[in-house]
Amino acid sequence: MKGSHKLSDKFDFTIFFSTMLLITIGLLGIFSATNNNPTAQGAFQKQFIMALVALVIFFITYFLPARLYKSLATPSYILSIIILIAVLLMGHTVYGAKSWINLGPIGFQPSEFAKIGFIFMLSYLLTGERRNPNNIKDFLVLMFYSFIPIILILIEPDMGTVIVYLFILIAMLFWSGIDLFYVFVTLSPVVVLFASFFGIAAFLLAMIIVFALLLYFKRNIFINISIVIMNMAGAYLFDYAFQFLKPHQQKRIETFINPTSDPLGAGYNILQAQLAIGSGGIWGKGFLKGNQTQLSFIPKQWTDFIFSVPGEEFGFIGSVLIVLLFTIIFIRLLNIASQINDKFESLVVVGVLTLLLTHFTINIGMNLGVAPVVGIPLPFLSYGGSSLIINMFLLGVALNFYKNRREHT
Amino acid sequence: MSDQVFGSSLRKKIFLAIITVIFVSFVFELSKMQILEYKDYEVKSSNNSIKKIPIKAPRGIFFDRNFSVLVSNKPSYTLTITPAIYDNNKDEIIEKILGEKKDFVKNILYKKRWYSKYLARVIKRNVSFKNVVWFEEHKEEFPGVKITVEMQRDYSFGINGSHIFGYLREINANQLKDNKEYSMGDYIGVQGAERAYEKHLRGQKGYHYILVDSKRKTIGKYLEGKNDKPPVKGDDLLFTIDYNTQKVAEKLFKNLKGSVVAIEPETGEILALVSSPQFNLQEFASFTSRKYIRKLSVDPEKPLFNRATKSIYPPGSTYKMLAGLLGLKENIITKNYAVVCKGGYQYGNRFFKCTHHHGYTNLRKAIEQSCNTYFYKLILDIGLEKWYDFSKKFGFGKKTGYDLGNESVGIVPNKEYYDRVYGRNKWGKGTLLSLGIGQGELSVTTLQLAQYAAMLANFGKTKVPHIVKAFLVGNTNLYTPIKYAEINNNLPVDYYYKIREAMLRVVESPEGTAHNIKLPNIKIAGKTGTSQNPHGKDHAVFIAFAPYENPKIAVAVLVENAGFGSTHAAPIAQKIITTYLDQLKNNASGI
Repeated sequence: MKGSHKLSDKFDFTIFFSTMLLITIGLLGIFSATNNNPTAQGAFQKQFIMALVALVIFFITYFLPARLYKSLATPSYILSIIILIAVLLMGHTVYGAKSWINLGPIGFQPSEFAKIGFIFMLSYLLTGERRNPNNIKDFLVLMFYSFIPIILILIEPDMGTVIVYLFILIAMLFWSGIDLFYVFVTLSPVVVLFASFFGIAAFLLAMIIVFALLLYFKRNIFINISIVIMNMAGAYLFDYAFQFLKPHQQKRIETFINPTSDPLGAGYNILQAQLAIGSGGIWGKGFLKGNQTQLSFIPKQWTDFIFSVPGEEFGFIGSVLIVLLFTIIFIRLLNIASQINDKFESLVVVGVLTLLLTHFTINIGMNLGVAPVVGIPLPFLSYGGSSLIINMFLLGVALNFYKNRREHT
Repeated sequence: MSDQVFGSSLRKKIFLAIITVIFVSFVFELSKMQILEYKDYEVKSSNNSIKKIPIKAPRGIFFDRNFSVLVSNKPSYTLTITPAIYDNNKDEIIEKILGEKKDFVKNILYKKRWYSKYLARVIKRNVSFKNVVWFEEHKEEFPGVKITVEMQRDYSFGINGSHIFGYLREINANQLKDNKEYSMGDYIGVQGAERAYEKHLRGQKGYHYILVDSKRKTIGKYLEGKNDKPPVKGDDLLFTIDYNTQKVAEKLFKNLKGSVVAIEPETGEILALVSSPQFNLQEFASFTSRKYIRKLSVDPEKPLFNRATKSIYPPGSTYKMLAGLLGLKENIITKNYAVVCKGGYQYGNRFFKCTHHHGYTNLRKAIEQSCNTYFYKLILDIGLEKWYDFSKKFGFGKKTGYDLGNESVGIVPNKEYYDRVYGRNKWGKGTLLSLGIGQGELSVTTLQLAQYAAMLANFGKTKVPHIVKAFLVGNTNLYTPIKYAEINNNLPVDYYYKIREAMLRVVESPEGTAHNIKLPNIKIAGKTGTSQNPHGKDHAVFIAFAPYENPKIAVAVLVENAGFGSTHAAPIAQKIITTYLDQLKNNASGI
């Protein structure tokens, strides 16, 4: 079938306009959260300019030849490793993590830029000649390349971003056809461990699911027993692992489980964000009329807690619109990934989708008080140039691949 | 089953399922928070940001009986710094202007570094007006530096009146718990009128509602101040005190210990009240009173103690008129009732002394020359129980009901009292004899003595002694008099005439014990007394009223450790009387 000449065949307007709408809501939110705050003057103007720059970058990556990106995989990966090492040597510390680097007047987060190299490199590795994830040797090579950036970010330490990288890795392995049993083996201890935070009932439920899936996969009894033991041990070793977390991270996990335990400390942000969102009601308090937002009850609300601004001022309608726009983007990206003929390109799109989905889920979950405060931004909305530019760059690449979906490079 | 196909439709479905689950759970959570639990969040959210800020009400001020100001309010200037907008390079110049040492500002800011940097810190209180003007002129150069006005008491009107007015102190945590009207940092009356009339004086706080952010920094008014309530000024007090009389009384007691109470006999209005030594109220005006209070409380002279209402002394011979009146009432003192005084009275195996050999002595002479022998006999004839009941009729042995309170009951002994102290039947009638001359266990306050003098002056009729006669209500300035109960012991006027005449002779007669204070133009009736003091030199007592024909003032004076009443206490009473009567004359001619 010959390609249509319709513009929508070459350009995904659904994703583009959804993204533009999200960026606009984000700008309104930043304006609302900072217009009364003397410490954040100029944040709106800066983000507005960043949005324009990001838009330009989006179109550049959209129009560049699709072939180029595969050849960029290795160089971008090496560059990512270099800047991740650089930030550990010369970066400065923000909120307990050495995650920022200054280039003249512009500060940026290498762990954001490294996402490009990571996704490209993984896609490249997973689509090479003898790169079968189900082959143990190939798998180990893959893990080696993946864990260099992950460990570097872990040293900063930026747990939130590490989680994002891990999810990208898992999703791309999953998409590339890794045996689902391996995914199960890898993920089940994580799920069981996370469930054990919530007490014995959640832990038992998770274990029941593990047993059910073991029956589904029909492996031999020895493997089954060792998996069960692994899961039990995972939950049991939680306390031990907990000690390796920074005090502020331990505190965050504790206050996530019970935010009211520390209403003026670490739980403060969660409670204040929930107050803002809950008091927004169905229609919201109106733009610039949210008392929580206007009176800066939420520290640095324009970054990780930006969702609480439209949540308060535009209410349920505004909140659901945001969630809906993201979901539309995700489903479109998933469709694009399955439509693309080229495996590398398809994997990159899945990587981008997982990146956005992880940020979205953790960030909004945190704002609603159903996920721990791990401090990662909401794509397109949160204040911050690095994240916005990287997301728009990757989205431009995804739409570029959509344009070329019928070709094999 | 486990496919190993790149991007298989199963894998797409799993992916889609994850996205859907996330979408559904977020929409579910949002509808729970924003629709179902909206009300809860809404209430909590409004409490978060609207702050009720109290506005202090100006405290009521004090006037004398002629509307002269006794105590007022004055602004005190406090310099504060808000670190968030303050430039630390200004430390040095501010220190120089305030006349403080180097690093004064820095140290205070360091000490208070844990508070929100948007909160103003008090740097210095009582900043001089000159400095206030300077900072106002240079406002632009000192961002974050602010001069705030606090009201404090102004005691600069020439009268100290420490035991009348009392003082204010910052409310403590315990008082705060019981008094919801107050908040931290408020001042509350501790003694005297400031305490007794606290509810009237404090007024009603106003409130304004402001919007604050999480750092408690003010953003603006809530609803343009629609719900704000202005404060209501406290009621002013109109005292019964006469400015001049009080001032003279304070001056007379400057180097003496003791007390004086002057009362208008007909009304019970206290014209002057001094307890000496006083304490200096000026010291309480500043905000560093804590040290001063500590100093006062360990002072052996006990300046915080109100000697006029709280100290009890035997009244000495001033009590003799009471026995005289009772003798008349009981028909014991008839026309021929008299003693022959040979310098004392033999009772059983004890000889009770008199001051002189008075010879033949009747009631008039016994009072005029203060013969003890006469009253030894009289009290034996009257008996303890009747004397006890009669003492109560003159307000002894019980609180007078003085409006500022803080009174002692005093001691008027009776049978039960002696049984309790000495044991049943273990005390003889001899104890009674000292009571006849106002000594022994009998103890009274100066205020009780003054009330007694007023009753003698006005034929047994007066009102509960008081020092505040009316309020000038805070918001309306309406004059609202306070009613005080009448006192009348319903004795025939004749008896009083006899006693009063004798009292007049105490001053007028050359034989009288207080002849030294006789005046050509004013007839003063009085009675000297010596209050026996087992701990040291006797106290001098004197009660008086004047003018004799139409008494306008009754006085009781007690000078501690001064010996005889006539030499030390009587001249004080005389000056107080003349000052007040002059004042009355001036007022009359003024109108």
